[in-house]
Amino acid sequence: MNFELSEEQQLIQDSVARFVQENYGLEARVALAAKDPGFSTTHWQTMAELGWLALPFAEADGGFGGNQIDVMVIMEQFGKGLILEPYLASIVMGGGALKRGASAALKEEILAGVIDGTYQLTLAYAEPQSRFDLHDVTTSARVDGDSFVINGAKSMVLNASTASHIVVSARTGGGQIDESGISLFLLNADTDGLTREDFPTVDGLRASELAFKDVRIGADRLIGEVDKGYEILNATANDAILALAAEAVGAMEVLYKDTVAYTQEREQFGHPLSDFQVLQHRMVDMFMEYEQCKSMLYRATMEAAAGDPETAQRTIHALKHIVGKYGIFIGENAVQLHGGMGMTEELRVGHYFKRMLVIDSQFGNADYHLQKFAA
Amino acid sequence: MDIELSQQDQDFRQDVRQFFADNAYKAGEDYAEWRLEWFKKAAEKGGWDVPKWSPEFGGPGWTPTQHYIWEQETARATLPWDMPFGVGMVAPIIMAYGNKAQQDRFLPDIRARRVNWCQGYSEPGAGSDLASLKTRAELSADGSHYVVNGTKIWTTAAHIADWIFCLTRTDDSGKKQEGITFLLFPMKQDGIEVKPIITLGGAHSVNTVYLTDVKVPVENRIGEQGKGWTYAKGLLQHERTGLAGLSRSLVALEGLRDNARSVPRGNSTLMDDPAFRAKAAELEIDLMAAEFTELRSLASAAAGAAPGPESSILKLKGTEIQQRIQKLTVEAGGIYSAAWGPKPVGNSFAKGGMAGYLASRAYTIYGGASEVQKDVVAKNVLGIKRSSR
Repeated sequence: MNFELSEEQQLIQDSVARFVQENYGLEARVALAAKDPGFSTTHWQTMAELGWLALPFAEADGGFGGNQIDVMVIMEQFGKGLILEPYLASIVMGGGALKRGASAALKEEILAGVIDGTYQLTLAYAEPQSRFDLHDVTTSARVDGDSFVINGAKSMVLNASTASHIVVSARTGGGQIDESGISLFLLNADTDGLTREDFPTVDGLRASELAFKDVRIGADRLIGEVDKGYEILNATANDAILALAAEAVGAMEVLYKDTVAYTQEREQFGHPLSDFQVLQHRMVDMFMEYEQCKSMLYRATMEAAAGDPETAQRTIHALKHIVGKYGIFIGENAVQLHGGMGMTEELRVGHYFKRMLVIDSQFGNADYHLQKFAA
Repeated sequence: MDIELSQQDQDFRQDVRQFFADNAYKAGEDYAEWRLEWFKKAAEKGGWDVPKWSPEFGGPGWTPTQHYIWEQETARATLPWDMPFGVGMVAPIIMAYGNKAQQDRFLPDIRARRVNWCQGYSEPGAGSDLASLKTRAELSADGSHYVVNGTKIWTTAAHIADWIFCLTRTDDSGKKQEGITFLLFPMKQDGIEVKPIITLGGAHSVNTVYLTDVKVPVENRIGEQGKGWTYAKGLLQHERTGLAGLSRSLVALEGLRDNARSVPRGNSTLMDDPAFRAKAAELEIDLMAAEFTELRSLASAAAGAAPGPESSILKLKGTEIQQRIQKLTVEAGGIYSAAWGPKPVGNSFAKGGMAGYLASRAYTIYGGASEVQKDVVAKNVLGIKRSSR
């Protein structure tokens, strides 16, 4: 057992931390989020050049052969600046499905472009009725000769407006909530019959509703085997949960530290707010839950990287539960202890708090994962 | 003790419902006209436009039970928009501490909703510690007017207000609670600049107000110079009782349950989810108790006692419940709660739910932060004396 980062991981951590420090002040972030495409294509290119986009792909596919721990190192630093670039959508979600299930030919065609930043992926898995269940799929893919024809709708698809390719889950067999009978496809974003409605999310990111009307796609664009997509989808979702949790832990650190700093500066009743014991204890609670989330993040990430999916699955449920619950707890209290200033868009805490809310709503909220854990 | 409503109270409830039904807004009507007309009709009912005013100033003189019934019924009806600053806040101070000329001058316009008010209390350096405010008011050499300089913050509706009631400092030689003077002045004049503050839900309702050499005639001073804190303190208690919003919370909880019934969950709906049901039930239980806490508080007020420190309990409990309802609404919205485009995505309530939740975080900050409220309860209700450290 060893919690030390390797030398390489340490270098990446330092380099990501520097990037965030230099590029992601609040004003810069707000300006990027406000105008299309909602992030910086220059930053995205920088991330490609620094090799961050290559990190979790196999060396045979042009990547660096990194695992969940390497992604955690990047995402935790990203969380400190609430990075807007589509790393989660393209590298962890879309890329995660491709690296697990795509044919050698498909990987060869797509992954080089993903790694150098020319292609951008996302994953369309949620549906209007599915809430948090990955296996609740009504979007259908009907066999027609050597193609499939897709009909249906997908919801809250992250960064779809800038994606070149979209990984879509669709039902090729079984009933609405069966795990078997789900297949994954890689669609070009400009495919006929695919329409999008784009919108911002409350944390300053972008998402879309997608509609599929007789979208025709060749059998060669299948990711994994027919009817067996769920396993890939679930493993990819687990990676996404680990990445989101790492980002959340980075953001929690900012929230509690900003609060500690602010309460020492702000004077009321002739004292800094930090003199008041009730506020001291609240900040200690925030700090304690941050550390607990970080511990659970390490536990889940290390188990996942060790390749024991069953043990890791239970811990990932536990992780998403406490990150959702305590991320919001820390965010609410950061706002409360900043008083009126915490309610404004002028300070960081409000933005980080909103990101915590969105993270809880993605890939199952705290209640959902508590029930999964208890089951 | 008797939980049954008397026949009179039941008749009163019927009367209120009938009034709301008869005067409801009809599509196509001019809203502004309807609004003023509504308050006029309510006045004709015998002070229904100003339920909390004393009969001396035209209020209805209701019993606590009647106030309770009114609150329940207004939570379900669509009333014309109204801000608390005029009728609910500055008017009681003018009645209690203003002179006859001020009462004659200001109360009719406040009552008719012809003039909008805002509250100039908080300052960048004076939030929970309001008494440390620094906005200066200097009396002119001839004693005819004050010259006001300073900055007010979190001023709700300052951008649409016609008048402001403002706490200013006229003396800083003694205790900070002394030397505060209560002034009224128009917002639309030279020397007043209003700058919007955008809050987390993206809304503009609060502002920073910059006051530079604003001239205020002495006849706009309420009561004595230097006694403004005493006047404002009475009002703060008033404000805190009004913030519990329990009837509205009950209606909001019903709405939340309806929304949850519209969210599919496998073959049933979110309302069939045991964990979700339990959270909604917990809220209902807390509301049932809080409703009776409010009734007890109203009853003791009616027995002659001014709304005392127990009103702090209501604000604490009421705002906590409001926040929990908002939070559960965000949970009910599920994946769609993140959507923040110009129109709703996925379901009709998620965006409003998120906006409401974010706005609700201020409920435990304004009107006395919860931490300060608890200090008040510890000191005044539990009688805990702090030893000097």
